[in-house]
Amino acid sequence: MRLSFLHPDRPPPGPFRPEFWRSPLRNSRLTAVLGLVLLIGLPVVIVTGLLSNDAYQPGLGGNALGRHFGPLDFYLFGWPTHPAWLYALTQGLHVSVGLALFPIVLAKLWSVIPRLFEWPPVRNVAHALERLSLALLVGGALFEFVTGILNVQYWYAFPFSFLQAHYYGAWVFTGAFLAHVVLKLPTMWTALRTRREVLSPMSAQSGEGSGIEAAALASPAPAPPTMSRRALLGMVGGGSALLGLQGAAQSIGGPLRSVALLLPRGRDRPGPLGFPVNKTWAAAGIAPQQVGAEWQLELSGARRVSLARAQLLSLPQHSYDLPIACVEGWSTTQRWSGVRLQDLAAVAGVHGPATVTTTSLEHGTYGHATLGHEQVSDPRSLLALRVNGVELSRDHGYPARVISPAVPGVHCTKWVAKMTFGTVSA
Amino acid sequence: MGREDDLRDGVRVTLGRRFRILYGAGPLHLLALLASFALAGAAVVGWFERPRDVVSVLIWLAAAIGLHDLILMPLYSLLDRIAFSRLSAGLDRRREAHSGPVNATPFLRIPAVLSGLLLIVFFPVISGLGARTELAASGIAERAYLVRWLALVGVLFAGSGAAYAISVARVRHAYRSTTTPDTSGDLGPDDG
Repeated sequence: MRLSFLHPDRPPPGPFRPEFWRSPLRNSRLTAVLGLVLLIGLPVVIVTGLLSNDAYQPGLGGNALGRHFGPLDFYLFGWPTHPAWLYALTQGLHVSVGLALFPIVLAKLWSVIPRLFEWPPVRNVAHALERLSLALLVGGALFEFVTGILNVQYWYAFPFSFLQAHYYGAWVFTGAFLAHVVLKLPTMWTALRTRREVLSPMSAQSGEGSGIEAAALASPAPAPPTMSRRALLGMVGGGSALLGLQGAAQSIGGPLRSVALLLPRGRDRPGPLGFPVNKTWAAAGIAPQQVGAEWQLELSGARRVSLARAQLLSLPQHSYDLPIACVEGWSTTQRWSGVRLQDLAAVAGVHGPATVTTTSLEHGTYGHATLGHEQVSDPRSLLALRVNGVELSRDHGYPARVISPAVPGVHCTKWVAKMTFGTVSA
Repeated sequence: MGREDDLRDGVRVTLGRRFRILYGAGPLHLLALLASFALAGAAVVGWFERPRDVVSVLIWLAAAIGLHDLILMPLYSLLDRIAFSRLSAGLDRRREAHSGPVNATPFLRIPAVLSGLLLIVFFPVISGLGARTELAASGIAERAYLVRWLALVGVLFAGSGAAYAISVARVRHAYRSTTTPDTSGDLGPDDG
């Protein structure tokens, strides 16, 4: 049964005809070069994204934030505390490399757009399934990039939970990406190894087989060139560098931070308390009297103990340079002083490996967080009372906040009200 | 013995060929795609913990493809054509008339495209859409993103202008230092 209008030689007018696509720059070599960059770069973004899920330690306490443990909600290992800048690095890479790859994704999509309109739209079962997978690939990629880019700019335009959407969306994308790599690697390889003259439109024919396919993206009726393919790649690379630099600047910080002109974390205010915060005192909605003279830290473990701030200050104080590293990709390293979590566990009567669930005075998504025994047993994990030699300000979590090496910033709970230590059978 | 082997091979070949005819590609093709669909299916199972999210996520996924492939890409292609098809023809004619040495189009197109890219990617901060959340999050009321973007646009065009001037000077210099003045022709490679 052949439907005559589906005949490959009789496409409808417009974009369904190969000669509609006039750019002399499109060919499979260009697509292959862009594909190769994505083949190297996207795994970095995927792996650092998965590592970020791990760093949140969703298996502990309420850290999963309502996500139950479905088939894809695994968590590979307890998150280490060495080096202290581990999460700053992995998440800085996730956001910066992600930003840098966005122009390359756009260019790659531009280079293969004639394929969206290929005729007939479906040749056989294999072709139909592959196109369905491509819809997941393109939709998944755009979905992940767009939700990520909106999130680092604080515009929560989407009506769904970012956390779940970005996580499960990543799995949809990753599956389609892996299948695409398996199916297209030979095509990419052939195109990269084919000499330019072979890629002329004369050898372009629709058909299967990687050799013929290698030429199929070139226009059969190219317009005269107005710029070179090298200039196009330079333009894409330039866009990549511009965006990647925005992300890298807010992650590396220091004098470079001011280069992040278009991201919300491109600025430090002067003074020891001028470094960025993720949530202000004003936004946390805490009544001022809750952090007044009568504030007490409630500790529980083998016993319950309440400590006033003066009592906390009378315990041994320790200072460490530790980064706050946010899931949005920015980080900042400061000198924190306070009481070791280990010491607080001992006060609560818990000895040996312990976890701690910290509850904030603030009610909200990150009003509580649980740290694992790796964090609690690290001597650099503190309940900080001071930073850079001065008292914490309200924006930075006064009267006390958690700081622990290499954990995501939102797990360094501010405005601490209560800490519950639990024993671990290790 | 040998005959049996041949027969088995024959059977395998026919099965493989049959599969190719029915399906349209080899078995690895099917396996790779089924594995990827299984992963997508597992993700959707996780999503159903928030059933209200599923529909909006599906809408966003479909909208992402539609908006990009059918609106954004045609729009920027059209803008590029409006801006550069006549312009580059004009520039080419001028270049021929004055034996100008360098193709000027990329020096205009590249900063224009990069400015557009920055505008699209950072549209939420430039237009202030995230400003309220940002204030709550950082305590900084930032209003200057539009100005910063405009400054970047200025820097991009100025840098491109400088690069153009340098390459023109370079080509002129190389042209003057050659002994035979008749080697004009195509000094600025158009396609590479």
